[in-house]
Amino acid sequence: MTLFAALFSHYRRHPLQLLALALMIVLATTLWTGVHHLTDRARVSLAESERAVAGQQQLVRDDGQPVTVQDFANLRRAGLCVMPWLEVRRPPPAGRVIGVDPFAATCFGDQAPGQAGSDALNGEPFLDIGEAAQLSTNGGEGVLSLLVPQTVDPAQLPPGYQLRGFSLGPATGELGESFLLNLDALGVLVLLITALLVRSVYQLGLVQRRESFALLTRFGVPGGRVWGWLLAEMAALTALCVLPGLWLGRWLAALLGGGFGAALENLFDTPLYAVGAGGVAVPALVMGAVVLAACFADRRLLRYLPAARYVGTWPAALVGLVVGLLLVRFATVLGWLFAGIALVFVAVGVLTPRALAGMAQWRARAGEGLGKWRRRELAVVFRRLALPVVALQFAVAMVLAVQALVSTFENTFEVWLGQRLEAEFYVEVPAFVAVADGVHYLDGLAGLGDWHLVQRGRAQLESAGGTPALPQVDLFAISPVGPLVTGWTLLVAAPDAWSRLAAGEGVMVNEQLARRQGYEPGDTITFRLDGRARTLPVLGVYADYGRPAGEILTAGQVLPAAFQPRFVSFSINPGALAMDDVRQGLAAAWGTEALTARDNQSIQTLASGVFDQTFLLTRAITVLTLVLAGASLLIMGWVFFTTRVWYYRLLSVWGLTRREAANQLRWLAVALTGCVALVALPLGVWLTWVLVARINPLAFGWSLPMAVYPGFWLEMLGWCLLIGVVISLLMGRQLRGLTPAPAMANVAAGGER
Amino acid sequence: MTEPVVQVTGLSKRFATGADAVTVLAELSFALPAGASLALTGRSGSGKSTLLNLLCGLEAPEAGRLQVFGEAFAAGDDGVAGDASARWARLRRRAIGVVFQDANLMPALTLLENVRLRATLAGQPTAPAADWLARLGLAELANRYPDQVSGGQRQRAALAMVFAMNPGLILADEPTGSLDHHTADDVADSLFSLQQHSGCGLILATHDPALAARCQYRLDLGHDRPELAATSALPSAAAPP
Repeated sequence: MTLFAALFSHYRRHPLQLLALALMIVLATTLWTGVHHLTDRARVSLAESERAVAGQQQLVRDDGQPVTVQDFANLRRAGLCVMPWLEVRRPPPAGRVIGVDPFAATCFGDQAPGQAGSDALNGEPFLDIGEAAQLSTNGGEGVLSLLVPQTVDPAQLPPGYQLRGFSLGPATGELGESFLLNLDALGVLVLLITALLVRSVYQLGLVQRRESFALLTRFGVPGGRVWGWLLAEMAALTALCVLPGLWLGRWLAALLGGGFGAALENLFDTPLYAVGAGGVAVPALVMGAVVLAACFADRRLLRYLPAARYVGTWPAALVGLVVGLLLVRFATVLGWLFAGIALVFVAVGVLTPRALAGMAQWRARAGEGLGKWRRRELAVVFRRLALPVVALQFAVAMVLAVQALVSTFENTFEVWLGQRLEAEFYVEVPAFVAVADGVHYLDGLAGLGDWHLVQRGRAQLESAGGTPALPQVDLFAISPVGPLVTGWTLLVAAPDAWSRLAAGEGVMVNEQLARRQGYEPGDTITFRLDGRARTLPVLGVYADYGRPAGEILTAGQVLPAAFQPRFVSFSINPGALAMDDVRQGLAAAWGTEALTARDNQSIQTLASGVFDQTFLLTRAITVLTLVLAGASLLIMGWVFFTTRVWYYRLLSVWGLTRREAANQLRWLAVALTGCVALVALPLGVWLTWVLVARINPLAFGWSLPMAVYPGFWLEMLGWCLLIGVVISLLMGRQLRGLTPAPAMANVAAGGER
Repeated sequence: MTEPVVQVTGLSKRFATGADAVTVLAELSFALPAGASLALTGRSGSGKSTLLNLLCGLEAPEAGRLQVFGEAFAAGDDGVAGDASARWARLRRRAIGVVFQDANLMPALTLLENVRLRATLAGQPTAPAADWLARLGLAELANRYPDQVSGGQRQRAALAMVFAMNPGLILADEPTGSLDHHTADDVADSLFSLQQHSGCGLILATHDPALAARCQYRLDLGHDRPELAATSALPSAAAPP
């Protein structure tokens, strides 16, 4: 028999252990590959979408009339690269489609809008322009635009036309990056948890093999050779298990990616989710390295019970915890913040088993009889199952944090969106019409509800000395300032903020700008509009989610007469009137036909739906992680219990019935998982705070209110207790039948204390 | 004649090993008077440990009847009466002390806590636990954990546990089997001394002829038809029942 055969003979005797280890590697690979693949594809997709929607420009007529097919023909004949873009809005649920002409787009090269330059993107909602035109004549509302490449110079244009910016929708980058950052963080956490799980399963297997290692050492086999063969054994097992894990991970990603893709499509009106294959080398190498590093990080495994030894590093862990907490609290750059989070997690991982074991020991002092024994046994379990306990704690904390983040975001976003879309409709003011005509028309309209004019543009911030060293910000001007905005929730505000804003006595700033420049109510802000500087007090700070840009909110009367807005619209509640009548009235006032009134309610519903789907994905991943951690604890408990079953048998020898002995086991398992849930709670709440109050402001400039959800805490506690019950039921099977006295000398001597 | 503390009639036990079945005990019958000591001897695999397990209800016989402290048990009781395991548990808790070759102590408890736990389960006062340890020479080690003392000290602590429960019968499965000669003698001295002092019955399985000779009776399970035999340790007035 070779040395390898002698070592591997352990698994011949305990095939379930080998199966558990293999299963853990497969599941860990599946989970991490799934997250990684999803993030990878999402990153590729968002990059494609950036290219698809960003930086296009269009041609418009000097006379303000909508462009027509005849314009397209004239421009093509003039030798200009022009692509027709027919946007057709159909009644829900059909939604918006866009007709493009692939032949006309050839002069755009691979920068053609709507093509996204990738075969991986399917054709929806882009159609051939002929089909879109057909839809337009069948009840859809069509608007034609003529797009030209970025390289076209205004001097090249034929007379009667001019260039204007064109956007297919909101830029994906900012929101997408936020989402990717979440997924990346989730992926790192998942990798950490899976590494812990694999390590813990492997370690417990080694516990039972230590006697064999000792025997081989006595036979004169060098420790290095044993180590080498163990490494080879694990490398072979990893190679075998990582491959099915990769396949399953991709399957998982494809399963979840459908919902994600749908979410992105709804959000950006373009098919953004790339379903390409991506590479397998990186995930395979990462998982292989993680598994081997997790199992062979140190050679003490051969000689000691690692879990019992690691807790000896608690003073360093305590220092690490304090430093990590301080870093997270005071870091001003994301890198340090993440370093702080990592430090806190490592420290918590080291300290938790020790703290729980200490607590159980302390509680045992007061007890007597079986109660004392149970608590002492619980302390042993906390020490011996340190890694899976910590993994479950991290998983539960992650679920708690993600749930709180998602719920907070959903609630906040819903309220915020409701405030922002307070009016039932908004009407985009066409170029080349007199805004004042619209204002005059609405002013004189009896029975009309609340309305205001929105003018958006850019403003240059200036420092007090007038040096323009500060950045440009968005300008958001409203007139009149009325009930459509005065219901906004302000994060901080000066007294009578809204009435002073309406009177033009100050401005409000969004949270991003307030954080970046340190503005508070009472401060003054100087900004330049069309060459004219204004200095006004800051009256309040309002929440503005989903983008990092700073913004100033002013009353329209603050704007200089020569101000050139980039975008003008009316927000309108039609009140007693029909919106269609109001729209037609406005169109008549401006002498135009191309006027669209958009239904804010449907936008709000769509946006909410998008976030529901997006967060469904995040939730699914966290729940899968929890399931994996629970399964790991189950496997670990099973393996560990094989070394403890004799003591439960001893209870039977001492006169406890099988049911009574099983009840002790049940108490132990439920106490174990219940305690894990309890210690996961503060970590989860802290992680929630870090996500909403530290990462978001640093990464994106806006924070979310910190909310807690005790109902969900109870739900998680329930799940953890259920995991404990399942563990005890499965372990209880080992109590049946006759148990031989422990064969291992260290167990017989009570060394597993 | 004292009423027997253990009465065994036609007891049989077989173990299935794959397709085969090995008969370990076949129609064994004997009775042990209260307060007497019995050595079970025989080669390995002759059924000594199995008989001890049967005598405390940790295993069930294929055939035969058992009577322990007047409680009657028969093969298949659990299937018919359903309460046999509970009755056995009650007996083990209150009246039967079991000592194995090793691993008799809970590793997470100190020696003293182990003794107190066993006394508590038996419904006995816990206060004398320290005394029992002291009588066995373990007073200084009472607050140590099992892995912090020697094998012989652990076995003596196991004896302290058994005596702290004030048993009517002690079942000992090679209690000195893992100890050196000198320590084994110490543990055996303690066992017999306390057994005689308390007046409880003792059945021990052993390969050690000297230890077996210290018992009043001997049952050699290596024989085809084992029978209870008196040893020289038995006072001449007491004949095998």
